[in-house]
Amino acid sequence: MAFMVANGNQGGQTLVLRGVDPETCMIVFKNHWAQVVKILEKHDPVRSNVGILGGGHGLGGGGGLGGLRFGKIPGDEASAVQNYVEHMLFLLMEEECGQSGAMGPILEFVVMENVLERLFVWSLRREFTDEMKLEQLKMYEMLIGQARQPLLHHKPVLKPLMMLLSSCSGSPSRPSSGVVEAELVLLLNQLCSVLTKDPSVLELFFHTSEDQGAANFLIFSLLIPFIHREGSVGQQARDALLLIMALSAENHVVAKHIAENTYFCPVLATGLSGLYSSLPTKLDVPSEDWHCLHHEDWQQLPSLVQFLNSLEFCNAVIQVAHPSIRDQLVGYIHNGFLVPVLAPALHKLTLEEVMTTTAYLDLFIRIVSEPALLHTFLSFILLHRHDNVHILDTLVSRINTPFQLGTVSLALFRTLIGLYCEDVMLQLILKYLIPCNHMMLSQRRVLRERDCYSVSAAKFLALTPSCCSPEIIPPPLRQLDSILWSKGTDGSQTTTKESEQVLPEDDDCVIGSEIYLDVSYLHYLSDAENSIGNCMRACRVWSAPYDGENPPPEEYQPSTLEEAGRTRPQITSKTTQTQNQVHQSGPPVRDLNAAPGLLELEWDDSYDACPTQPHPEEGQEAGPIPDEPPQHIQEMRRTAIMLVKGSYIEEAEFQNDVMVYDLVAQKDVQDSNNSYHASSKPAESEQLESGEPTSNQNPTESSMSNGPSMEDCKKKEGEPAQSDRSAIPEGEDLMAQYEDLIRSLAAQSSSPANSELKSPTEVMDDEVEFNSILPETPELERMPSSPFGTKPCSGSRGNAVPFTGPFVSVLLSRLENMLNNTLHVNLLLTGILAQLAAYPQPLLRSFLLNTNMVFQPSVRSLYQVLASLKNQIEQLSATRKDFPELLTAAQHCLLARESSLRDSQGPKMGDRIHGPEADKTKKNPAIQPKVIVPSNRTEVYATVLFTEFLKELAAIAQEHSILSQLPMEE
Amino acid sequence: MNTFWSMSSNVGLKRSDSEEQGGQGEQRASPARPPFGKKQLPSIPKNAVPITKAASPATSAQSANGTHASYGPFYLEYSLLAEFTLVIKQKLPGIYVQPSYRSALMWFGVIFIRHGLYQDGVFKFTVYIPDNYPDGDCPRVVFDTPVFHPLVDPDSGELDVKRAFTKWRRNHNHIWQVLMYARTIFYKINTMDPLNPEAAVLYDRDIQLFKRKVIDSVKLCNSHLFDQPKMDDPYAISFSPWNPAVHEEAKEKMFAHKVSV
Repeated sequence: MAFMVANGNQGGQTLVLRGVDPETCMIVFKNHWAQVVKILEKHDPVRSNVGILGGGHGLGGGGGLGGLRFGKIPGDEASAVQNYVEHMLFLLMEEECGQSGAMGPILEFVVMENVLERLFVWSLRREFTDEMKLEQLKMYEMLIGQARQPLLHHKPVLKPLMMLLSSCSGSPSRPSSGVVEAELVLLLNQLCSVLTKDPSVLELFFHTSEDQGAANFLIFSLLIPFIHREGSVGQQARDALLLIMALSAENHVVAKHIAENTYFCPVLATGLSGLYSSLPTKLDVPSEDWHCLHHEDWQQLPSLVQFLNSLEFCNAVIQVAHPSIRDQLVGYIHNGFLVPVLAPALHKLTLEEVMTTTAYLDLFIRIVSEPALLHTFLSFILLHRHDNVHILDTLVSRINTPFQLGTVSLALFRTLIGLYCEDVMLQLILKYLIPCNHMMLSQRRVLRERDCYSVSAAKFLALTPSCCSPEIIPPPLRQLDSILWSKGTDGSQTTTKESEQVLPEDDDCVIGSEIYLDVSYLHYLSDAENSIGNCMRACRVWSAPYDGENPPPEEYQPSTLEEAGRTRPQITSKTTQTQNQVHQSGPPVRDLNAAPGLLELEWDDSYDACPTQPHPEEGQEAGPIPDEPPQHIQEMRRTAIMLVKGSYIEEAEFQNDVMVYDLVAQKDVQDSNNSYHASSKPAESEQLESGEPTSNQNPTESSMSNGPSMEDCKKKEGEPAQSDRSAIPEGEDLMAQYEDLIRSLAAQSSSPANSELKSPTEVMDDEVEFNSILPETPELERMPSSPFGTKPCSGSRGNAVPFTGPFVSVLLSRLENMLNNTLHVNLLLTGILAQLAAYPQPLLRSFLLNTNMVFQPSVRSLYQVLASLKNQIEQLSATRKDFPELLTAAQHCLLARESSLRDSQGPKMGDRIHGPEADKTKKNPAIQPKVIVPSNRTEVYATVLFTEFLKELAAIAQEHSILSQLPMEE
Repeated sequence: MNTFWSMSSNVGLKRSDSEEQGGQGEQRASPARPPFGKKQLPSIPKNAVPITKAASPATSAQSANGTHASYGPFYLEYSLLAEFTLVIKQKLPGIYVQPSYRSALMWFGVIFIRHGLYQDGVFKFTVYIPDNYPDGDCPRVVFDTPVFHPLVDPDSGELDVKRAFTKWRRNHNHIWQVLMYARTIFYKINTMDPLNPEAAVLYDRDIQLFKRKVIDSVKLCNSHLFDQPKMDDPYAISFSPWNPAVHEEAKEKMFAHKVSV
């Protein structure tokens, strides 16, 4: 505001001054100054240099302190000075450079006479009120912003400015007023832009600071307190800091200073933590189908807006700053925010809190764009272990939780998969596919074969339930358009198309025999082309093609998996920074405990039939494991599960459950270490041995693959998290204590024991364990009678066992339950699977899309799941008469939903809806469904979606047959 | 005899390789291959209606091993596109093809013969693919101008492809093999069961006269080079005389590309 005023005045002055003889100006200036000096000296009783200033700044020359002791300065004199000064400033501002860059005469005078410093002292002598500060700040702001010659090079200008700045910064005890702060930040901002334009000034700033004692980059230090400020002041400060950051990229001194002498990075990172703590721990879920924080959601949460501002600022700093600052900041964010704040938040005790944190994490990952920062977040998810479980595994395990948490977790994974990050994909899926154990040996050579004749597409489409067959019920509003296809290849060039509703731009279909064609399929093809193309472009930087030969399956056999995992490629897609930073901070040990509790997530019945130990890492961690859990362990589990089933909403009980699971886990370790050592497989121990020596990781981490020391680790990890855990003694007492605990808790629960636990190794970890036993009920009820006995763990554990990983199996098991899922869960599921299917890596592509591939009997394929869904739907439609009408109505509802979403969210919000569907109704605005199918008729919606999903998959398969084979166009 | 291709695609490849070596010098002199895929791959159906004609609904439904005639055309379209990408991958020497704009079942092509009896011949041709592809007969190859050759019908210009592909086998036979075959006949002349008995007899009995006839035929073909394409199709291959204003830039790009590679 003040700035505006100044501008106005200045404009007027310019008109007056232009063309005025410089000598005249000089004379006027001197006269004014003489008047000012008169007043100044009149009130300066001590004419000698005292050299002491209130703030303790060494102040040379010009004046002394103590004016206040000599009475108030009369107002008229003060305003007279101000008037003169104003005029003088205008004269100074308007003065041109002298010849060959020399000072103009007025500036020279100012420098000689130390005008500015004396004015500053004068303002100190009067009561140094906020008004005074404002006046001075505005004065400099005007001078710096509008002077025609460089002023800051001159110490007599710079020094009082620095003194002013430091006196305005306000002490913790007496913070400056908001107005002063705003003006101060504005001036600092201005100074920063001068710095970026004229780096030579930078030196001076440093030197001036040196005069005051420490090498101190005052401008920078002054800005730091405003980093996390909300509103325009904060924004201005951040902008100014960014200017300095950009400067640091080229100037080592600045970079070094910021990295070594300031608290910039810690302040930024801990500020994130602080702001995070003020975020709501529970979100009001606006609607049932809510699954992630959209722009309009977080805009309404001021605390979240503020957090995101700071996060975006970090992002920007990392983008422009010197690598040393970037690395430091990234390290602090990992160690100061992600690990100490976000990790525990992801493990809060209620579903709502965990759900909220998951939604935040998803949002953060979507907001962050800078590779180094994204890398940090991903490293955190992939590598960090909380309570001995990798964050990723915990997150995967939550996909199968009921309520919103599962949905929000799905949304998070949709985000993660959409990053095209090699490491993410490797950990989630590819590492399970690389050994090629999921397919018959003979199939390895056809892995890279492509589907020349769209056989797979045809097989997918052939799964279309008869009740949805396009011949029987044409989809409403986008009916099968009859396109006329030519019979003759030559001659008949009369080109028309019958229905102009779709694709009016194509008028080239040749008339001939007539055929009905599902035109919506064209949209799927087009979308598939785009999505595969995007994916292929992004994956070009991947370290390997994942085609069954590279990485070589032999090296990723479970026996060697540990080693292979260690040498796995670093995150390559999008994220380019090296992992140094993370290595410093987070435990990068990936494989020793890479996938604890993976087994529990495998819900497939088919898997249950598998008699072998599926996960080598599991085995490693757990050490030798009994074939059949002893009776008392089974009993324990049953009770514990019962507890969890009945109580996970109650916070307190939840906590108990966690404790129970911890106990179970510890007990298991005990058992396996002590009693069952004899039954260990030679292969297993060999593996352990061979894994150890090559480990170059930090010794405590490595030792965790050792049975005995694991107990300690667990205890160690447990200590900070929950005090009562650490109190649990080791050894025989444990059992007794545990049973006491169970007894006391069991009384509270009344739900029947029910479980799908499969492996005796599974209760290795409390976190995953806990989550994994919250399955969808239908899953559970499939085999209520045999909660534990379903998996006969025979002795062939050392062998490679087909297992496609927890992520795939949890996705497929949720997909299998499609008819009972709500619409939005199904949209997410099919969206994720479609995105996965778009990946060009032959391993993934063949697993998901090649319907001719022969897999191991124990491996469930996407096609099998879809086929079983088709059967379910066929049965359903056979038994319910109203099914066809409901289907049509549901199609109407879905179309209406899409068009309304599109209207309200604009074209960019495709992520909320099924991508291809978004296009399908482009030309059908404002559809009103006639009959609303209630959303609890999930099977109806699921059937519609199922049919569309088949088309989507078929389209992707078809596009793969073409795109994946071609070298990418530049 | 008539099983040139049914032996195995490898044999065919080997032969062409050895030929390749024979004519390498020449080949180097020929302009660098343009980025084939870029130029010729028709935009894979953006929102385009597939430019194909349908197999009759009944057959396509059958071949699609399902019930959905609606998708039959898509399968056909993509099978042909896949074939086309295979052609591109093969980088057949001196052969350029491009599917018609109007139908994916019709491809326009041109063969440059760089040595041998037919040296300097530039033969335009059209490939017709049966609409029940890949379960039907083998594709037909018809030269725009009937070349004087024992295996080329002197009236229709059709090449005797069937002798090499007695039975078209999906997954084994591919269109690039047909194109390769169309090139091979100009280097290895076969006079058994000719479509042009005159040429066959001359080749066996009076090679000099045969050569003269071939030279005349090559001249005739080349004299029609700048004719309008027989088919009025946007993607038909047409030649135009050298025009620096139009071609110089493209040529420079090609050579620059070659150097950089």
